[in-house]
Amino acid sequence: MAGRSTMRAGLSGTGRLADDLYLMAHHELTGRPFVQPRALGTGLAGGLLAELMLGASIGLGPDGAVLPGRTWPADELARQVRDQIAGEHEPRLVRDWLLFLARTAADDVAQRLARSGYVTRAGRRVPWRPGRWIPVDPDWAFSPLLRVRAALDPARPLPAYGAVLAGLATACGLGFRLDQYQASAGRRLDEALAQLNPCLRELVAQTQAVVDNAVLSHRA
Amino acid sequence: MSRTHMAAKPSAVSRALARDRLGVPAVLFFVLAGVAPLTVAAGVIPTAYATTGLTGIPAAFLLVAVILVVWATGYVAMTRHITNAGAFYAFIARGLGRPAGVAAALVALVAYSFLQVGLYGALGPAAAGQAAAHLGVHAPWWAWALAAWAVITALGLARVDITGRVLGVLLSAEILVILAETVWGLARPAGGRLSLAVLSPAALTSGGFGTVGVLAVVAVLGFVGFEQAPVLAEEARHPRRTIPVATYLALGAIAVVYAGAAWAMAAHVGRSRVVAAAAAQGPGLLFGLGSAWLGQAAQLLFLTSLFAAALAFHNCVWRYIFALGREGVLPGAFGRTGANSIPKAASLAQSLTGLAVIVAYAAGGWAPMTNLFFWLGTTGGFGILVLLAVTAVAVIAFFARDPRGESTWARLVAPALAAILLGGLVVLAVLHYSTLLGVPAGSAAAWALPGGYALAAATGLGWGLVLRVRRPQVYETVGLGAHAVTRQIAPASRILP
Repeated sequence: MAGRSTMRAGLSGTGRLADDLYLMAHHELTGRPFVQPRALGTGLAGGLLAELMLGASIGLGPDGAVLPGRTWPADELARQVRDQIAGEHEPRLVRDWLLFLARTAADDVAQRLARSGYVTRAGRRVPWRPGRWIPVDPDWAFSPLLRVRAALDPARPLPAYGAVLAGLATACGLGFRLDQYQASAGRRLDEALAQLNPCLRELVAQTQAVVDNAVLSHRA
Repeated sequence: MSRTHMAAKPSAVSRALARDRLGVPAVLFFVLAGVAPLTVAAGVIPTAYATTGLTGIPAAFLLVAVILVVWATGYVAMTRHITNAGAFYAFIARGLGRPAGVAAALVALVAYSFLQVGLYGALGPAAAGQAAAHLGVHAPWWAWALAAWAVITALGLARVDITGRVLGVLLSAEILVILAETVWGLARPAGGRLSLAVLSPAALTSGGFGTVGVLAVVAVLGFVGFEQAPVLAEEARHPRRTIPVATYLALGAIAVVYAGAAWAMAAHVGRSRVVAAAAAQGPGLLFGLGSAWLGQAAQLLFLTSLFAAALAFHNCVWRYIFALGREGVLPGAFGRTGANSIPKAASLAQSLTGLAVIVAYAAGGWAPMTNLFFWLGTTGGFGILVLLAVTAVAVIAFFARDPRGESTWARLVAPALAAILLGGLVVLAVLHYSTLLGVPAGSAAAWALPGGYALAAATGLGWGLVLRVRRPQVYETVGLGAHAVTRQIAPASRILP
């Protein structure tokens, strides 16, 4: 019984958006990333900011700057990000935070997933390279795609979580994974995004712009 | 703690972001890497001497450098106030309106595409010559061009920019070889006396006043790539300083290297014989200035230079197509990236263009070096000359609405001067296009090649107007490139929590 409930809990995910995005961005068996490091880091940075926005721990000001909200997240990594945002003397734009968080987001999120039991560090194949994070259970690693699919299913109410996850996944180049599992008569992603609140829409758009800009400026 | 004290001490976030940003050397290197100096010094200059029959090429590099320095004043000033800087059409869309921007986008696409496919016309013969001489392999030029095309297609799809370090070594070696050949050539002038005649302003009009336009097209072709620095504006450590300094340094370096090499060629064989020598020797005109081993090294580097340039322009073209796909000006498929951050459709589109051109030239039996490399290359250079002139006008129009704190020199006088000079050169080039191509006046190529741009511009203008009526949301984002999405997904971008 305990095993089955653990399995069910694993399939329903950690409930943290960046965790789901991380799992979607890596092969469920080998843990290999599907996208380039810079795009992945930017997408995950968007994921971390989205977690805070969904929990009302941050918001956007009239000039598009990121402002701390009145709530504190329970998760340690999210709290750390919120504290960094609150600690800046001048509020910064979403773009700055995406660039800043992108530098370490992949490792930070992987370690958080490891603490939750979703990934584990595999041994190094070559001495000078760090080991890879491998999903503990392929079904758990695959389940975020199904959550995204729910957001694109017109027969169900639109969950903001799924729509943002789908938007960020597309922004960092994982659109091809969504295409594979999208319901045939699915709600289009742009329709789903249009129903989000303006802060989340702006976050998805800025994430996409930062990834695209890296492509155009030869730094992807 | 006082607020000033806090401002004086940057936060961890500021320090981390600053570490990731690029300084002048990195931006300068990025710009020069796209310029491919040996491609111009060994490929363009001798072919230009031979095809146009004009000897004022060294002076033309100096003249165009001065004009471009003036032009760049307004260009870098406007860079500070727009997004998607680095793409001519973004400047033109903001200055002269979105339909003009779409027209400029198509002109730029055609120009860069010409520059890219033209390189196969030099790559093929250069590789064939080396293979025959050293490997005993005798294959036609187009077979080598197709091989290069296949590798570039594969690298383009695999998201391979030749890495910075490899390109850095190649670029440094190219410049050193050109400088060595130049010094060697100038040290042994024909008749034992070094003449400065080909560097003087009088040399520009020695073939008639109108030929200044022809020479300018050749020189602009050499400078193509210098305009790319603002692409990195958002990545630069101090955008107000880094981008202008890198742009001016690039212009100065290119002018000195090319004018010097072109001068050395004319000085070494003699001004009166340089046209005939260029026709007979082609790239060998540069390789023969120094010792045999230096010449051999230069020939190998010429190949790598051509390859690096072809790959760089291939990537440049797909980035243009990608940006336009992102905006919705071109079909959305061109704006989608795959897992490796490469827009495959955009990259393949340019590959297909290259394949079609190589096959057409092979089937038609046309001369690769003259009819493909030089004709399409110079026509690409002519397109860039047109865009430079129109961009100068766009800068004036942009700042006429709001000076945004820029000086009168930067926002009005310099761009006006540049617009008049560049516009004049465009007109002269059109009138003497047959001289540029080395064909009889009135021949079809002399009007069809520049005329292609008129067609592209008219199509772009029409499409821009259609977008305004039929797809206003796309129309609104013309010229925004990667930032188009912020208007498309989040049209109300100013938000309260």
